Amino acid sequence: MGVDGLRYAENDSIIRIEDLVFAYGRENEDAEADSSRARTDATFNAVDRVSIRVERGSFTSVIGRNGSGKSTLAKNINALLLPTGGRAFVAGFDTADETAVWEIRQRVGMVFQNPDNQLVSAVVEDDVAFGPENLGVAPEEIRERIRVSLSAVDMYEHRKMAPHLLSGGQKQRVAIAGVLAMKPEIIIFDEPTAMLDPEGRAEVMDIIKRLHDEKITVVLITHFMEETVTSDRIVIMDCGRVAMEGTPAEIFARSDEIESLGLKLPFVVELSARLRERGVPVPSGLLTEEALSAHLLALNGKARN
Amino acid sequence: MSIKAENLTHIYNKGLAYETKAVDDVSFTAEDGEFIGIIGHTGSGKSTLIQHLNGILKPESGRIFIDDIEITSKNVKMTQIRKRVGLVFQYPEYQLFEETVLRDISFGPKNLGLSDDEVVERAMEAMRLVGLDFETYAERSPFELSGGQKRRAAIAGVIAMRPDVLILDEPTAGLDPKAHEDILNMIRSVKERAGGIVVLVSHNMGDIAEMTDRVLVMDGGKLVRDGAPAEIFADEEFLKGIGLGVPPAARMANVLAAGGLASDRSVLTLGDLTDFLANRLGGAGGGADDETPEVSR
Repeated sequence: MGVDGLRYAENDSIIRIEDLVFAYGRENEDAEADSSRARTDATFNAVDRVSIRVERGSFTSVIGRNGSGKSTLAKNINALLLPTGGRAFVAGFDTADETAVWEIRQRVGMVFQNPDNQLVSAVVEDDVAFGPENLGVAPEEIRERIRVSLSAVDMYEHRKMAPHLLSGGQKQRVAIAGVLAMKPEIIIFDEPTAMLDPEGRAEVMDIIKRLHDEKITVVLITHFMEETVTSDRIVIMDCGRVAMEGTPAEIFARSDEIESLGLKLPFVVELSARLRERGVPVPSGLLTEEALSAHLLALNGKARN
Repeated sequence: MSIKAENLTHIYNKGLAYETKAVDDVSFTAEDGEFIGIIGHTGSGKSTLIQHLNGILKPESGRIFIDDIEITSKNVKMTQIRKRVGLVFQYPEYQLFEETVLRDISFGPKNLGLSDDEVVERAMEAMRLVGLDFETYAERSPFELSGGQKRRAAIAGVIAMRPDVLILDEPTAGLDPKAHEDILNMIRSVKERAGGIVVLVSHNMGDIAEMTDRVLVMDGGKLVRDGAPAEIFADEEFLKGIGLGVPPAARMANVLAAGGLASDRSVLTLGDLTDFLANRLGGAGGGADDETPEVSR
C-alpha cells in the first residue's frame, strides 16, 4: 500500500514536521495566551513554519514561554489540530489525511496538565479500559491491557479505587495508564507535573523515564528546566518558531540566549556557572545533581590532600 | 494586624460514609509583617485551611480572629472580611471576566462602596504594584494579555481591595520561568510596599525557602510542623515521608554532606550553596584549609 510504503522510509523519524503553519482565526480563538497577537491580525500563526524530526524511541523536551506555540504544535502531532500550511507525518501517516486519523491517534497518546480533566470513570480500571473499549478491543485483551498498563505505572493494586480518592501524582499515573492501554508508540506529555506536589512530580518523571527506557517515543512539554536534562534533545519554541534545538548540554551552554527566551538554566547548570565565577573549577556540561556533586566531592578530596 | 486560628476543624461530607476531616484541630497565630509559607501534599488540607481565612468556608468547630474580629462568628459581614483578607486562587486568570483590565480590577473595590475616583486610584495603585503599566493595559481586554500578565491582572484585583492579609494559592503554577520569577518579585514588592501578612501556598520548596520567613506544614488535615524555613527543611526524611521534599539547594547540600563536604550553616537557597562551596573550594589558595575542618558525621 502507498501509505505503508511511506512509513519508516526516512531514517526512522517517527515524527516528521515540515514547514508547519498553524493559524488561529479570530473566531476560533481558543488561543490561550497567544491571543495577544490575534488583536492586530485577523489570524495569527501560533506555529509558524516549524520543521522538526523526532527519532523513534527518543526523548524530546519542548520548552518555551507561555504562548510560544508548544501546545499547539503538540496538538498538530496527534491530529487534534490540522496544519494551515506545511505537513506533519506520524509514523509515515500524513495528519491531513482524514482516513489516517485513527491510525495516528492510536499511535500518539497525550497526557495533559490537569489529571482531573482526563479521568472519566468512577473506578480506576474502567478509566484505563475506556480507550481500548472504544477501539473495540476484545474483553480478555482489555483485561490484559489494564493489568500491563496499571502495573507499568505502579497502580495495579489501586485498580478498584475511585480516581477522586487518589493523590495528584496517582491520578496522573492513571491517566498515563489509560494512554498506555492504547499501546501507543509516542506519548506527548503537556506539562504533566505543573499541578503536582513534589512527590507527585517525582513519580511522574520516574514513569516518563521508564517509558523512554522501554523505547516509547517521549515528547515532554514543560516549564521545569530540571525535567529536560535527561532528554536526548531539547527544542525551544518562541513566537511560534523553533528558536533553538540541540542536546541539553548544547542548549544550556548558551545561557544568555536561554534567558532572552524567557527561560532559565536548570539548577545544577546555574550553580555551576556561579561557582565558576567564584573561582571554583567546574567544567561546563555537568547537568545532573549526581554529576555535579561527584565533581565537587572530588575537588574537596583534592583540597584536603 | 494579626491572625489567630484556634482549633479549626473542617469536615467534608459530614454524616456520609466518606466523610473526611480536611482540617483537623489546627491552631496558629500570625503577626503583622510575617511572610508565611504553607506546604503539604495534594489533599493535605492547605486549600481548605486558607479558604477559612477569608470566610469562604466556615469551620465545623474552632474560631478565627483577624485582629479582634472573629470572622467565624455568624453575624460578621462578608465585606468586612474581604476588605481585610485577600485570597488569590489557583489559576486566578480563569476568573477574569470584564471587558477591560481596569474594570476587572475595579470590580472588588466598587463593591466596597467607594467613590469612582477612589476606585480608579486603587486600581492604578494595584496595577503599579503588580507591574502592569496603566497607560498600556488599563483599557485592554484581559483576554489579550499573555499568561503571566493575565495572572498579574487577576492578582491586582485582589490587591486593589488593600487587604491586610494577602493569601496566594500556587500563584506560579503553569507559568514559564520568566513569568514565574516576575510573579515572585511582584509578591516581594507588594509585601515591601503594602506590608501586612502574606501567606504563600506552594509545592515549590525552592520558592518557599527563598520567600518566606516561617513555614507551616500540613499533613492529613493537621498542622504537623510550624517553624523557620531552616528548621523545617533540616528534616528531609520527615518531609519526604509526607510527600514533600527540601529545596534543590538543600538536597544537594545533604548529598555533599554525606560525602564529607558539610556546611556548618543551613543551606536552603542557590545563594547559600554558592557561598558555601565558593568558600570551601574556591580560589587558588582557598579550599578546605580556610575553615576549621568539619566534624564528620
